[in-house]
Amino acid sequence: MTLYHYLAVSAALFCIGIFGALTRRNVIGILMGIELMFNAANINLAAFNRFLHPNAVVGQSVSLFIITVAAAEVVVGLALVLAIYRNIQTIYAEDYNLLKG
Amino acid sequence: MVNLKLLSPEIFLSVLALILMLADLWVPRKHGKLLFHLGIAFSAAGLLSLGMAYSDPANYQGMGTSWVVDPMGLFFKVIVLITTLLSLLLSLDYAGEASARTAPTRHLGTFAGLVLLCSVGMMLLVSSVDLLLVFLSLELVSITSFILSGFERTNLKSSEGAMKYFLIGAFSSAVMVFGISLYYGATGTTSLIGVRDQSGTLVGLASLMILVGFGFKASVAPFHLWVPDAYEGAPTPVTTYLSIAPKVAALAAMLRVFLQLMPGDIDMPRLFACLAALTMTVGNFTALFQTNVKRLLAYSSIAQAGYILIAFVSPGGLGKEAVLMYALAYVFMNVGAFTVAIMIGNEDSYELEAYDGLASRSFGVSLLMAFFLLSLAGIPPTAGFIAKFYVFAAAIEAKYYWLAIVGVLNSVVSVYYYLRIAYHMFFMPARKREPLSAGFYLYSGLAVAAFCVVFIGLYPDPFIASAKISSATLTEAARSVKTALSPVSVPARGG
Repeated sequence: MTLYHYLAVSAALFCIGIFGALTRRNVIGILMGIELMFNAANINLAAFNRFLHPNAVVGQSVSLFIITVAAAEVVVGLALVLAIYRNIQTIYAEDYNLLKG
Repeated sequence: MVNLKLLSPEIFLSVLALILMLADLWVPRKHGKLLFHLGIAFSAAGLLSLGMAYSDPANYQGMGTSWVVDPMGLFFKVIVLITTLLSLLLSLDYAGEASARTAPTRHLGTFAGLVLLCSVGMMLLVSSVDLLLVFLSLELVSITSFILSGFERTNLKSSEGAMKYFLIGAFSSAVMVFGISLYYGATGTTSLIGVRDQSGTLVGLASLMILVGFGFKASVAPFHLWVPDAYEGAPTPVTTYLSIAPKVAALAAMLRVFLQLMPGDIDMPRLFACLAALTMTVGNFTALFQTNVKRLLAYSSIAQAGYILIAFVSPGGLGKEAVLMYALAYVFMNVGAFTVAIMIGNEDSYELEAYDGLASRSFGVSLLMAFFLLSLAGIPPTAGFIAKFYVFAAAIEAKYYWLAIVGVLNSVVSVYYYLRIAYHMFFMPARKREPLSAGFYLYSGLAVAAFCVVFIGLYPDPFIASAKISSATLTEAARSVKTALSPVSVPARGG
Protein backbone atom coordinates (compact mmCIF):
# COMPACT_ATOMS: atom_id res chain seq x y z
CA MET A 1 0.00 0.00 0.00
CA THR A 2 1.40 3.36 -0.99
CA LEU A 3 0.07 6.87 -0.60
CA TYR A 4 -1.36 6.71 -4.09
CA HIS A 5 -3.69 3.85 -3.22
CA TYR A 6 -5.20 5.88 -0.42
CA LEU A 7 -5.45 9.00 -2.55
CA ALA A 8 -7.17 7.04 -5.31
CA VAL A 9 -9.73 5.71 -2.85
CA SER A 10 -10.37 9.14 -1.40
CA ALA A 11 -10.66 10.78 -4.81
CA ALA A 12 -13.11 8.09 -5.91
CA LEU A 13 -15.11 8.54 -2.73
CA PHE A 14 -15.19 12.30 -3.21
CA CYS A 15 -16.44 11.97 -6.77
CA ILE A 16 -19.07 9.42 -5.79
CA GLY A 17 -20.15 11.80 -3.03
CA ILE A 18 -20.46 14.75 -5.42
CA PHE A 19 -22.32 12.61 -7.91
CA GLY A 20 -24.71 11.39 -5.22
CA ALA A 21 -25.30 14.84 -3.77
CA LEU A 22 -26.06 16.33 -7.18
CA THR A 23 -28.25 13.58 -8.61
CA ARG A 24 -30.24 12.18 -5.68
CA ARG A 25 -33.83 13.31 -5.37
CA ASN A 26 -34.16 12.06 -1.85
CA VAL A 27 -32.86 14.44 0.81
CA ILE A 28 -31.46 11.58 2.88
CA GLY A 29 -29.56 10.41 -0.21
CA ILE A 30 -28.11 13.88 -0.71
CA LEU A 31 -27.00 13.87 2.93
CA MET A 32 -25.28 10.53 2.45
CA GLY A 33 -23.44 11.89 -0.57
CA ILE A 34 -22.22 14.85 1.47
CA GLU A 35 -21.05 12.50 4.24
CA LEU A 36 -18.99 10.58 1.67
CA MET A 37 -17.31 13.82 0.67
CA PHE A 38 -16.41 14.57 4.29
CA ASN A 39 -15.00 11.09 4.72
CA ALA A 40 -12.92 11.40 1.58
CA ALA A 41 -11.25 14.38 3.22
CA ASN A 42 -10.67 12.33 6.36
CA ILE A 43 -8.95 9.54 4.42
CA ASN A 44 -6.80 12.16 2.71
CA LEU A 45 -5.76 13.70 6.01
CA ALA A 46 -4.91 10.40 7.66
CA ALA A 47 -2.97 9.15 4.64
CA PHE A 48 -1.00 12.37 4.20
CA ASN A 49 -0.23 12.26 7.90
CA ARG A 50 1.04 8.68 7.72
CA PHE A 51 3.08 8.92 4.54
CA LEU A 52 4.22 12.51 4.07
CA HIS A 53 4.29 14.19 7.47
CA PRO A 54 4.70 11.46 10.07
CA ASN A 55 6.35 13.67 12.71
CA ALA A 56 3.22 15.23 14.15
CA VAL A 57 -0.36 14.04 14.28
CA VAL A 58 -1.87 17.21 12.82
CA GLY A 59 -3.73 15.40 10.08
CA GLN A 60 -5.28 12.82 12.34
CA SER A 61 -6.45 15.37 14.87
CA VAL A 62 -7.95 17.53 12.12
CA SER A 63 -9.88 14.53 10.88
CA LEU A 64 -11.24 13.95 14.39
CA PHE A 65 -12.58 17.52 14.36
CA ILE A 66 -14.12 16.94 10.95
CA ILE A 67 -15.89 13.77 12.07
CA THR A 68 -17.42 15.64 15.00
CA VAL A 69 -18.50 18.64 12.98
CA ALA A 70 -19.98 16.46 10.24
CA ALA A 71 -22.05 14.62 12.84
CA ALA A 72 -23.32 17.91 14.29
CA GLU A 73 -24.20 19.14 10.84
CA VAL A 74 -26.16 16.00 9.99
CA VAL A 75 -28.15 16.34 13.20
CA VAL A 76 -29.36 19.76 12.14
CA GLY A 77 -30.10 18.49 8.65
CA LEU A 78 -32.18 15.57 9.86
CA ALA A 79 -34.08 17.85 12.25
CA LEU A 80 -34.94 20.08 9.30
CA VAL A 81 -36.03 17.06 7.26
CA LEU A 82 -38.33 16.02 10.11
CA ALA A 83 -39.75 19.53 10.44
CA ILE A 84 -40.66 19.55 6.76
CA TYR A 85 -41.87 15.95 6.77
CA ARG A 86 -44.37 16.75 9.52
CA ASN A 87 -45.84 19.46 7.33
CA ILE A 88 -45.94 17.97 3.86
CA GLN A 89 -45.09 14.23 4.24
CA THR A 90 -42.34 14.08 1.65
CA ILE A 91 -38.56 13.92 1.64
CA TYR A 92 -38.09 14.42 -2.10
CA ALA A 93 -36.19 17.58 -2.85
CA GLU A 94 -38.26 18.53 -5.90
CA ASP A 95 -41.38 18.82 -3.75
CA TYR A 96 -39.82 21.68 -1.82
CA ASN A 97 -40.93 24.27 -4.30
CA LEU A 98 -42.75 26.94 -2.34
CA LEU A 99 -40.01 29.53 -2.84
CA LYS A 100 -39.33 30.57 -6.40
CA GLY A 101 -38.24 33.44 -8.62
CA MET B 1 -2.00 30.02 27.51
CA VAL B 2 -0.15 33.33 27.74
CA ASN B 3 -2.46 35.60 25.82
CA LEU B 4 -5.72 33.75 26.10
CA LYS B 5 -7.19 36.86 27.68
CA LEU B 6 -7.26 38.40 24.22
CA LEU B 7 -10.07 36.01 23.39
CA SER B 8 -12.07 36.90 26.50
CA PRO B 9 -14.95 38.58 24.58
CA GLU B 10 -15.53 35.34 22.64
CA ILE B 11 -15.32 33.16 25.73
CA PHE B 12 -17.60 35.49 27.67
CA LEU B 13 -20.19 35.58 24.90
CA SER B 14 -20.25 31.83 24.33
CA VAL B 15 -20.77 31.16 28.04
CA LEU B 16 -23.58 33.71 28.12
CA ALA B 17 -25.15 32.18 25.01
CA LEU B 18 -25.25 28.78 26.70
CA ILE B 19 -26.73 30.37 29.84
CA LEU B 20 -29.45 31.95 27.71
CA MET B 21 -30.29 28.59 26.14
CA LEU B 22 -30.52 26.95 29.55
CA ALA B 23 -32.54 29.80 31.00
CA ASP B 24 -35.03 29.18 28.23
CA LEU B 25 -36.09 26.01 30.05
CA TRP B 26 -37.15 27.86 33.19
CA VAL B 27 -38.40 31.22 32.04
CA PRO B 28 -42.16 31.02 31.41
CA ARG B 29 -43.31 31.59 27.85
CA LYS B 30 -44.99 34.91 28.43
CA HIS B 31 -41.76 36.37 29.77
CA GLY B 32 -39.75 35.01 26.84
CA LYS B 33 -38.94 38.50 25.56
CA LEU B 34 -36.96 39.03 28.73
CA LEU B 35 -34.32 36.72 27.31
CA PHE B 36 -34.06 38.90 24.21
CA HIS B 37 -33.34 41.85 26.45
CA LEU B 38 -30.69 39.81 28.19
CA GLY B 39 -29.17 38.87 24.84
CA ILE B 40 -29.10 42.53 23.83
CA ALA B 41 -27.45 43.42 27.12
CA PHE B 42 -24.84 40.69 26.64
CA SER B 43 -23.95 41.75 23.14
CA ALA B 44 -23.81 45.37 24.27
CA ALA B 45 -21.40 44.33 27.01
CA GLY B 46 -19.29 42.46 24.47
CA LEU B 47 -19.37 45.47 22.19
CA LEU B 48 -18.31 47.73 25.02
CA SER B 49 -15.34 45.57 25.96
CA LEU B 50 -14.28 45.29 22.32
CA GLY B 51 -14.76 49.00 21.81
CA MET B 52 -12.43 49.66 24.70
CA ALA B 53 -9.92 47.23 23.27
CA TYR B 54 -10.30 48.85 19.86
CA SER B 55 -9.53 52.28 21.20
CA ASP B 56 -6.21 50.93 22.40
CA PRO B 57 -4.99 48.82 19.51
CA ALA B 58 -1.33 49.09 20.41
CA ASN B 59 -1.74 47.11 23.60
CA TYR B 60 -4.59 44.84 22.72
CA GLN B 61 -3.15 42.60 20.08
CA GLY B 62 -1.42 39.31 19.97
CA MET B 63 -1.14 36.00 18.27
CA GLY B 64 -1.88 32.42 19.14
CA THR B 65 -0.85 29.65 16.82
CA SER B 66 -4.24 29.54 15.15
CA TRP B 67 -5.69 32.97 15.77
CA VAL B 68 -4.55 36.52 15.79
CA VAL B 69 -6.07 39.57 17.44
CA ASP B 70 -5.15 42.68 15.50
CA PRO B 71 -6.82 45.96 14.50
CA MET B 72 -8.48 44.41 11.45
CA GLY B 73 -9.92 41.57 13.48
CA LEU B 74 -11.17 43.94 16.16
CA PHE B 75 -12.82 46.16 13.58
CA PHE B 76 -14.79 43.26 12.13
CA LYS B 77 -15.67 41.94 15.58
CA VAL B 78 -17.15 45.31 16.40
CA ILE B 79 -19.13 45.24 13.16
CA VAL B 80 -20.43 41.74 13.88
CA LEU B 81 -21.53 42.70 17.36
CA ILE B 82 -23.26 45.88 16.17
CA THR B 83 -25.23 43.74 13.72
CA THR B 84 -26.08 41.25 16.45
CA LEU B 85 -27.29 44.01 18.73
CA LEU B 86 -29.46 45.63 16.08
CA SER B 87 -30.92 42.33 14.85
CA LEU B 88 -31.90 41.28 18.36
CA LEU B 89 -33.46 44.70 18.82
CA LEU B 90 -35.54 44.18 15.69
CA SER B 91 -36.55 40.69 16.82
CA LEU B 92 -38.34 42.19 19.81
CA ASP B 93 -40.97 43.81 17.62
CA TYR B 94 -41.10 41.24 14.85
CA ALA B 95 -44.51 39.68 14.39
CA GLY B 96 -44.49 37.98 10.99
CA GLU B 97 -46.76 38.72 8.07
CA ALA B 98 -50.24 39.94 8.93
CA SER B 99 -51.84 36.95 7.18
CA ALA B 100 -49.88 34.31 9.07
CA ARG B 101 -48.34 35.79 12.25
CA THR B 102 -45.53 33.30 12.13
CA ALA B 103 -43.14 34.96 14.55
CA PRO B 104 -41.74 32.42 16.99
CA THR B 105 -43.31 32.71 20.43
CA ARG B 106 -41.51 29.81 22.08
CA HIS B 107 -37.84 29.14 22.76
CA LEU B 108 -36.90 32.79 22.48
CA GLY B 109 -33.92 32.19 24.74
CA THR B 110 -32.64 29.58 22.32
CA PHE B 111 -33.09 32.08 19.52
CA ALA B 112 -31.08 34.77 21.30
CA GLY B 113 -28.47 32.21 22.38
CA LEU B 114 -28.06 30.95 18.81
CA VAL B 115 -27.61 34.47 17.52
CA LEU B 116 -24.90 35.06 20.10
CA LEU B 117 -23.19 31.75 19.29
CA CYS B 118 -23.28 32.59 15.60
CA SER B 119 -21.61 35.90 16.42
CA VAL B 120 -18.94 34.12 18.42
CA GLY B 121 -18.29 31.95 15.37
CA MET B 122 -17.86 35.02 13.22
CA MET B 123 -15.61 36.72 15.75
CA LEU B 124 -13.35 33.68 15.70
CA LEU B 125 -13.58 33.46 11.93
CA VAL B 126 -12.31 36.98 11.35
CA SER B 127 -9.31 36.38 13.57
CA SER B 128 -8.29 32.89 12.50
CA VAL B 129 -5.06 32.21 10.66
CA ASP B 130 -5.26 28.44 10.72
CA LEU B 131 -7.41 26.52 8.28
CA LEU B 132 -8.65 24.21 11.02
CA LEU B 133 -9.98 27.17 13.02
CA VAL B 134 -11.36 28.70 9.82
CA PHE B 135 -13.29 25.51 9.17
CA LEU B 136 -14.54 25.12 12.73
CA SER B 137 -15.71 28.69 13.08
CA LEU B 138 -17.27 28.66 9.64
CA GLU B 139 -19.20 25.56 10.68
CA LEU B 140 -20.27 27.18 13.94
CA VAL B 141 -21.65 30.06 11.91
CA SER B 142 -23.28 27.76 9.35
CA ILE B 143 -24.93 25.35 11.74
CA THR B 144 -26.40 28.07 13.93
CA SER B 145 -27.65 30.00 10.94
CA PHE B 146 -29.31 26.87 9.49
CA ILE B 147 -31.28 26.57 12.72
CA LEU B 148 -32.02 30.29 12.88
CA SER B 149 -33.33 30.49 9.33
CA GLY B 150 -35.62 27.52 9.98
CA PHE B 151 -36.75 28.85 13.32
CA GLU B 152 -40.40 29.31 12.35
CA ARG B 153 -41.11 25.62 12.49
CA THR B 154 -44.74 25.81 11.48
CA ASN B 155 -43.99 28.06 8.54
CA LEU B 156 -43.22 25.83 5.59
CA LYS B 157 -41.38 28.59 3.75
CA SER B 158 -38.98 28.92 6.65
CA SER B 159 -38.22 25.20 6.81
CA GLU B 160 -37.85 24.98 3.07
CA GLY B 161 -35.47 27.92 2.90
CA ALA B 162 -33.43 26.45 5.74
CA MET B 163 -33.33 23.06 4.02
CA LYS B 164 -31.97 24.52 0.79
CA TYR B 165 -29.52 26.61 2.79
CA PHE B 166 -28.44 23.49 4.65
CA LEU B 167 -27.94 21.27 1.60
CA ILE B 168 -25.87 23.80 -0.30
CA GLY B 169 -24.02 24.79 2.86
CA ALA B 170 -23.07 21.24 3.80
CA PHE B 171 -22.00 20.52 0.23
CA SER B 172 -19.73 23.54 0.05
CA SER B 173 -18.19 22.90 3.44
CA ALA B 174 -17.43 19.33 2.35
CA VAL B 175 -15.63 20.74 -0.68
CA MET B 176 -13.79 23.16 1.56
CA VAL B 177 -12.68 20.38 3.90
CA PHE B 178 -11.33 18.41 0.98
CA GLY B 179 -9.40 21.51 -0.01
CA ILE B 180 -7.99 21.81 3.49
CA SER B 181 -6.88 18.18 3.37
CA LEU B 182 -5.05 18.84 0.10
CA TYR B 183 -3.42 21.92 1.60
CA TYR B 184 -2.27 19.81 4.51
CA GLY B 185 -0.86 17.23 2.14
CA ALA B 186 1.11 19.84 0.24
CA THR B 187 2.49 21.77 3.20
CA GLY B 188 2.33 19.48 6.23
CA THR B 189 0.42 21.98 8.31
CA THR B 190 -2.97 23.66 8.41
CA SER B 191 -1.51 26.95 9.54
CA LEU B 192 -1.39 29.76 7.04
CA ILE B 193 1.55 31.51 8.64
CA GLY B 194 5.11 30.66 7.88
CA VAL B 195 4.42 28.49 4.86
CA ARG B 196 6.80 29.56 2.15
CA ASP B 197 6.44 27.05 -0.62
CA GLN B 198 3.02 27.61 -2.11
CA SER B 199 3.69 26.64 -5.68
CA GLY B 200 2.38 23.48 -7.22
CA THR B 201 -0.98 22.33 -8.43
CA LEU B 202 -1.98 20.82 -5.10
CA VAL B 203 -1.96 24.19 -3.29
CA GLY B 204 -3.72 25.79 -6.25
CA LEU B 205 -6.47 23.21 -6.20
CA ALA B 206 -6.71 23.49 -2.42
CA SER B 207 -7.14 27.27 -2.56
CA LEU B 208 -9.89 26.97 -5.14
CA MET B 209 -11.75 24.48 -2.96
CA ILE B 210 -11.31 26.66 0.14
CA LEU B 211 -12.62 29.57 -1.89
CA VAL B 212 -15.81 27.56 -2.51
CA GLY B 213 -16.48 27.38 1.23
CA PHE B 214 -15.98 31.11 1.66
CA GLY B 215 -17.90 31.92 -1.48
CA PHE B 216 -20.91 30.08 -0.16
CA LYS B 217 -20.97 32.04 3.10
CA ALA B 218 -20.33 35.35 1.39
CA SER B 219 -22.89 34.53 -1.35
CA VAL B 220 -20.44 34.98 -4.21
CA ALA B 221 -22.04 34.30 -7.57
CA PRO B 222 -21.77 30.66 -8.54
CA PHE B 223 -22.59 29.69 -4.93
CA HIS B 224 -25.39 32.17 -4.28
CA LEU B 225 -28.34 29.93 -5.15
CA TRP B 226 -29.47 29.46 -1.58
CA VAL B 227 -29.56 33.17 -0.77
CA PRO B 228 -32.97 34.29 -2.05
CA ASP B 229 -34.80 31.21 -0.71
CA ALA B 230 -33.18 31.20 2.70
CA TYR B 231 -33.60 34.96 3.07
CA GLU B 232 -37.23 34.94 2.05
CA GLY B 233 -38.14 32.05 4.30
CA ALA B 234 -36.22 33.08 7.40
CA PRO B 235 -37.78 35.31 10.06
CA THR B 236 -36.98 38.85 8.91
CA PRO B 237 -34.67 39.81 11.81
CA VAL B 238 -32.69 36.67 11.00
CA THR B 239 -32.62 37.73 7.36
CA THR B 240 -31.25 41.08 8.45
CA TYR B 241 -28.61 39.33 10.48
CA LEU B 242 -27.67 36.76 7.83
CA SER B 243 -27.52 39.32 5.06
CA ILE B 244 -24.90 41.31 6.94
CA ALA B 245 -22.86 39.56 9.58
CA PRO B 246 -21.85 36.20 8.01
CA LYS B 247 -21.27 37.88 4.69
CA VAL B 248 -19.02 40.56 6.08
CA ALA B 249 -17.23 38.09 8.36
CA ALA B 250 -16.66 35.61 5.54
CA LEU B 251 -15.29 38.34 3.31
CA ALA B 252 -13.02 39.52 6.10
CA ALA B 253 -11.73 36.00 6.68
CA MET B 254 -11.26 35.57 2.96
CA LEU B 255 -9.20 38.74 2.90
CA ARG B 256 -7.04 37.46 5.70
CA VAL B 257 -6.66 33.96 4.31
CA PHE B 258 -5.81 35.07 0.81
CA LEU B 259 -3.30 37.60 2.07
CA GLN B 260 -1.38 34.55 3.28
CA LEU B 261 -2.39 31.89 0.84
CA MET B 262 -1.02 32.82 -2.54
CA PRO B 263 -0.84 29.80 -4.78
CA GLY B 264 1.87 30.18 -7.34
CA ASP B 265 -0.15 28.83 -10.25
CA ILE B 266 -3.27 30.96 -9.97
CA ASP B 267 -3.61 34.68 -10.48
CA MET B 268 -5.86 35.30 -7.48
CA PRO B 269 -6.62 39.01 -8.13
CA ARG B 270 -7.84 38.17 -11.62
CA LEU B 271 -10.01 35.36 -10.24
CA PHE B 272 -11.47 37.74 -7.65
CA ALA B 273 -12.11 40.32 -10.35
CA CYS B 274 -14.07 37.79 -12.43
CA LEU B 275 -16.04 36.60 -9.41
CA ALA B 276 -16.82 40.19 -8.42
CA ALA B 277 -18.07 41.08 -11.88
CA LEU B 278 -20.18 37.91 -12.06
CA THR B 279 -21.63 38.39 -8.56
CA MET B 280 -22.61 42.00 -9.12
CA THR B 281 -24.16 41.33 -12.46
CA VAL B 282 -26.12 38.26 -11.38
CA GLY B 283 -27.35 39.98 -8.22
CA ASN B 284 -28.43 43.19 -9.88
CA PHE B 285 -30.02 41.74 -12.97
CA THR B 286 -32.06 39.18 -11.04
CA ALA B 287 -33.16 41.80 -8.52
CA LEU B 288 -34.78 43.72 -11.38
CA PHE B 289 -37.58 41.17 -11.64
CA GLN B 290 -38.46 40.69 -7.97
CA THR B 291 -41.79 41.68 -6.51
CA ASN B 292 -41.15 40.52 -2.96
CA VAL B 293 -39.12 43.06 -1.03
CA LYS B 294 -37.31 40.46 1.08
CA ARG B 295 -36.24 38.66 -2.08
CA LEU B 296 -35.27 41.93 -3.74
CA LEU B 297 -33.08 42.83 -0.78
CA ALA B 298 -31.62 39.32 -0.91
CA TYR B 299 -30.49 39.80 -4.49
CA SER B 300 -29.31 43.30 -3.66
CA SER B 301 -27.17 41.82 -0.88
CA ILE B 302 -25.61 39.43 -3.41
CA ALA B 303 -24.77 42.44 -5.54
CA GLN B 304 -23.31 44.23 -2.51
CA ALA B 305 -21.06 41.25 -1.85
CA GLY B 306 -19.88 41.64 -5.44
CA TYR B 307 -18.98 45.29 -4.83
CA ILE B 308 -16.99 44.36 -1.74
CA LEU B 309 -15.22 41.68 -3.73
CA ILE B 310 -13.99 44.32 -6.18
CA ALA B 311 -11.68 45.60 -3.46
CA PHE B 312 -9.96 42.21 -3.31
CA VAL B 313 -8.03 42.97 -6.50
CA SER B 314 -5.63 45.18 -4.57
CA PRO B 315 -5.25 43.53 -1.19
CA GLY B 316 -1.92 45.17 -0.56
CA GLY B 317 -2.99 48.74 -1.14
CA LEU B 318 -6.32 50.49 -0.90
CA GLY B 319 -8.24 47.21 -1.03
CA LYS B 320 -8.25 46.42 2.65
CA GLU B 321 -9.40 49.89 3.63
CA ALA B 322 -12.11 49.72 1.02
CA VAL B 323 -13.40 46.41 2.39
CA LEU B 324 -13.52 47.84 5.91
CA MET B 325 -15.23 51.02 4.80
CA TYR B 326 -17.79 49.17 2.71
CA ALA B 327 -18.56 46.73 5.50
CA LEU B 328 -19.17 49.58 7.92
CA ALA B 329 -21.51 51.44 5.60
CA TYR B 330 -23.27 48.26 4.49
CA VAL B 331 -24.24 47.29 8.04
CA PHE B 332 -26.23 50.44 8.68
CA MET B 333 -27.87 50.85 5.30
CA ASN B 334 -29.01 47.26 5.18
CA VAL B 335 -30.28 47.27 8.76
CA GLY B 336 -32.22 50.43 7.94
CA ALA B 337 -33.85 48.98 4.83
CA PHE B 338 -34.78 45.76 6.63
CA THR B 339 -36.20 47.68 9.61
CA VAL B 340 -38.67 49.43 7.35
CA ALA B 341 -39.41 46.08 5.67
CA ILE B 342 -40.25 44.60 9.09
CA MET B 343 -42.51 47.55 9.89
CA ILE B 344 -44.47 47.08 6.68
CA GLY B 345 -44.37 43.29 6.99
CA ASN B 346 -45.81 43.35 10.50
CA GLU B 347 -48.67 45.45 9.28
CA ASP B 348 -49.30 43.91 5.87
CA SER B 349 -46.85 41.76 3.90
CA TYR B 350 -43.46 41.75 2.19
CA GLU B 351 -44.86 42.24 -1.30
CA LEU B 352 -44.10 45.45 -3.18
CA GLU B 353 -47.80 46.45 -3.20
CA ALA B 354 -47.71 46.81 0.57
CA TYR B 355 -45.53 49.90 0.06
CA ASP B 356 -48.13 51.69 -2.04
CA GLY B 357 -48.63 55.25 -0.89
CA LEU B 358 -46.57 54.91 2.23
CA ALA B 359 -45.47 58.53 1.85
CA SER B 360 -49.00 59.84 2.34
CA ARG B 361 -49.34 57.77 5.51
CA SER B 362 -45.94 58.10 7.17
CA PHE B 363 -43.78 60.55 5.32
CA GLY B 364 -40.82 60.27 7.68
CA VAL B 365 -40.47 56.51 7.42
CA SER B 366 -40.76 56.50 3.64
CA LEU B 367 -38.22 59.30 3.37
CA LEU B 368 -35.78 57.30 5.48
CA MET B 369 -36.43 54.16 3.43
CA ALA B 370 -35.75 56.10 0.24
CA PHE B 371 -32.58 57.36 1.84
CA PHE B 372 -31.40 53.83 2.73
CA LEU B 373 -32.18 52.65 -0.79
CA LEU B 374 -30.25 55.54 -2.31
CA SER B 375 -27.38 54.64 -0.01
CA LEU B 376 -27.48 51.02 -1.17
CA ALA B 377 -27.43 52.30 -4.74
CA GLY B 378 -24.42 54.45 -3.88
CA ILE B 379 -25.73 57.96 -4.47
CA PRO B 380 -24.14 60.90 -2.63
CA PRO B 381 -24.35 62.22 0.08
CA THR B 382 -24.86 58.86 1.76
CA ALA B 383 -22.58 56.32 3.38
CA GLY B 384 -23.03 54.01 0.40
CA PHE B 385 -21.44 56.57 -1.91
CA ILE B 386 -18.29 56.88 0.19
CA ALA B 387 -18.01 53.10 0.34
CA LYS B 388 -18.49 52.60 -3.39
CA PHE B 389 -16.06 55.39 -4.14
CA TYR B 390 -13.41 53.63 -2.08
CA VAL B 391 -14.04 50.28 -3.73
CA PHE B 392 -13.80 51.66 -7.25
CA ALA B 393 -10.69 53.58 -6.29
CA ALA B 394 -9.14 50.31 -5.15
CA ALA B 395 -9.95 48.72 -8.52
CA ILE B 396 -8.42 51.64 -10.38
CA GLU B 397 -5.34 51.57 -8.18
CA ALA B 398 -4.81 47.93 -9.13
CA LYS B 399 -5.28 48.89 -12.81
CA TYR B 400 -8.48 46.89 -13.17
CA TYR B 401 -10.22 49.63 -15.15
CA TRP B 402 -12.73 47.24 -16.74
CA LEU B 403 -13.83 46.10 -13.30
CA ALA B 404 -14.45 49.67 -12.13
CA ILE B 405 -16.50 50.30 -15.28
CA VAL B 406 -18.55 47.12 -14.74
CA GLY B 407 -19.10 48.21 -11.14
CA VAL B 408 -20.33 51.67 -12.10
CA LEU B 409 -22.64 50.24 -14.76
CA ASN B 410 -24.02 47.82 -12.20
CA SER B 411 -24.70 50.65 -9.78
CA VAL B 412 -26.68 52.39 -12.50
CA VAL B 413 -28.76 49.25 -13.05
CA SER B 414 -29.33 48.88 -9.33
CA VAL B 415 -30.81 52.39 -9.09
CA TYR B 416 -33.77 51.13 -11.12
CA TYR B 417 -34.92 48.47 -8.71
CA TYR B 418 -34.12 50.42 -5.58
CA LEU B 419 -36.11 53.36 -6.84
CA ARG B 420 -38.97 51.07 -7.80
CA ILE B 421 -39.67 50.68 -4.07
CA ALA B 422 -39.47 54.46 -3.72
CA TYR B 423 -41.87 54.81 -6.65
CA HIS B 424 -44.38 52.57 -4.87
CA MET B 425 -44.00 54.59 -1.70
CA PHE B 426 -44.32 58.05 -3.21
CA PHE B 427 -46.39 57.79 -6.36
CA MET B 428 -48.89 54.99 -5.90
CA PRO B 429 -52.28 55.58 -4.27
CA ALA B 430 -52.43 54.42 -0.67
CA ARG B 431 -54.62 51.49 0.26
CA LYS B 432 -55.02 52.60 3.85
CA ARG B 433 -55.30 56.00 5.46
CA GLU B 434 -54.05 55.64 9.02
CA PRO B 435 -50.33 56.22 9.63
CA LEU B 436 -47.96 53.30 9.95
CA SER B 437 -47.71 52.07 13.51
CA ALA B 438 -44.63 50.28 14.73
CA GLY B 439 -43.10 49.42 18.06
CA PHE B 440 -40.53 51.37 19.98
CA TYR B 441 -37.68 48.98 19.19
CA LEU B 442 -38.23 49.21 15.46
CA TYR B 443 -38.14 52.99 15.64
CA SER B 444 -34.97 52.94 17.70
CA GLY B 445 -33.30 50.57 15.22
CA LEU B 446 -34.39 52.88 12.43
CA ALA B 447 -33.04 55.91 14.24
CA VAL B 448 -29.63 54.34 14.84
CA ALA B 449 -29.33 53.18 11.24
CA ALA B 450 -30.44 56.52 9.83
CA PHE B 451 -28.12 58.49 12.06
CA CYS B 452 -25.12 56.38 11.09
CA VAL B 453 -25.84 56.41 7.36
CA VAL B 454 -26.17 60.19 7.38
CA PHE B 455 -23.20 60.70 9.63
CA ILE B 456 -20.87 58.46 7.63
CA GLY B 457 -22.12 60.06 4.43
CA LEU B 458 -21.63 63.66 5.54
CA TYR B 459 -18.58 63.39 7.74
CA PRO B 460 -16.63 60.25 6.80
CA ASP B 461 -13.21 61.45 7.99
CA PRO B 462 -13.13 59.69 11.39
CA PHE B 463 -14.36 56.46 9.82
CA ILE B 464 -11.83 56.63 7.01
CA ALA B 465 -9.13 57.27 9.58
CA SER B 466 -10.19 54.28 11.66
CA ALA B 467 -10.42 52.09 8.54
CA LYS B 468 -6.88 53.14 7.72
CA ILE B 469 -5.64 52.20 11.17
CA SER B 470 -7.60 48.96 11.18
CA SER B 471 -6.28 47.77 7.87
CA ALA B 472 -3.07 46.79 9.65
CA THR B 473 -2.87 43.08 10.20
CA LEU B 474 -0.54 41.40 12.58
CA THR B 475 0.33 38.57 10.22
CA GLU B 476 1.86 40.93 7.71
CA ALA B 477 3.77 42.66 10.45
CA ALA B 478 5.03 39.27 11.59
CA ARG B 479 6.05 38.42 8.06
CA SER B 480 8.09 41.58 7.67
CA VAL B 481 9.72 40.92 11.03
CA LYS B 482 10.48 37.41 9.94
CA THR B 483 12.25 38.54 6.81
CA ALA B 484 14.18 41.14 8.80
CA LEU B 485 15.46 39.03 11.63
CA SER B 486 14.81 35.35 11.44
CA PRO B 487 14.31 33.23 13.38
CA VAL B 488 11.56 35.05 15.27
CA SER B 489 10.16 33.42 18.36
CA VAL B 490 6.66 32.16 17.73
CA PRO B 491 4.29 33.32 20.48
CA ALA B 492 3.06 30.68 22.87
CA ARG B 493 0.15 28.53 21.85
CA GLY B 494 -3.05 30.25 22.79
CA GLY B 495 -5.86 27.77 22.78
